Amino acid sequence: MTNELYIQLLAAFLFTMGVLVVLLRRDTIMVLMGIELLLNAANLSLVAFSKTNSMIDGQLQVLFVIALAAAESAVGLSILVNLYRNFGSIKTQNATTLKG
Amino acid sequence: MNPIILVLGVISAILAVNMLIAKNPITSAMSLLGILLMSAGIYAMIGEHFIATIQLVVYAGAIMVLFIFSIMLLNLSDSESELKRNPGIFAGAVALGLGLFGFIGYAINEHFLNHRNDVIPGQFTPDVINQLGGNSKVMAHSLFTQYYVSFEVITLALLVAVVGAVVLAKRKFD
Repeated sequence: MTNELYIQLLAAFLFTMGVLVVLLRRDTIMVLMGIELLLNAANLSLVAFSKTNSMIDGQLQVLFVIALAAAESAVGLSILVNLYRNFGSIKTQNATTLKG
Repeated sequence: MNPIILVLGVISAILAVNMLIAKNPITSAMSLLGILLMSAGIYAMIGEHFIATIQLVVYAGAIMVLFIFSIMLLNLSDSESELKRNPGIFAGAVALGLGLFGFIGYAINEHFLNHRNDVIPGQFTPDVINQLGGNSKVMAHSLFTQYYVSFEVITLALLVAVVGAVVLAKRKFD
């Protein structure tokens, strides 16, 4: 088994774990951390594929993904602090103001 | 295959499971930090030194500090953060996870077994990269010529995110 195939399988496992974290944890901060784990798994996969195929594009996309993850976590965490200020908790089932 | 990459990968898989099942959010955040550090190690081991550095500085440094700061600011209790106990949701999520892992694994296996030779390989083999002056130099050249517009769009997105974060943190909800 080559390094790249192994890294791809690791990325698939981390992606699955990220999906489970997003779906199964109760508080919003864990959902955001799960999204970070998903992005990290996608980064691993992109780097390994661009290494396998001797390309540089995947690695540049990883840079863009990291920058977007930084932006997303800044906005997400400030939304979360706002949520806590208004509802007193960050459980996912409490933020139901927009629910029809 | 490289034994160091194997060790890093096994540790990060264990940490991912720990992140899913840990009760305390701080434990989960520390597990995520470990996963990011292990990923940086893997990047460094396969020769992507620039991405490894950025991963350490931006992900493991800035983003995780922001997460841990938020957890400590909000002072979360363990009871808020447990796994969902609803058996329907739990079973559905586990089934979805297994299906997703199977699908991605199948696609990867297919690529490496059957369609590996259909891909037209690029020019940046490790020898060429060393000849051109290293990974960072090649990436910088490509970033500021071929991907210049994307780079500018990302800077714009970061600016919007900074303004949005300030506006959200200041505003009082009516």
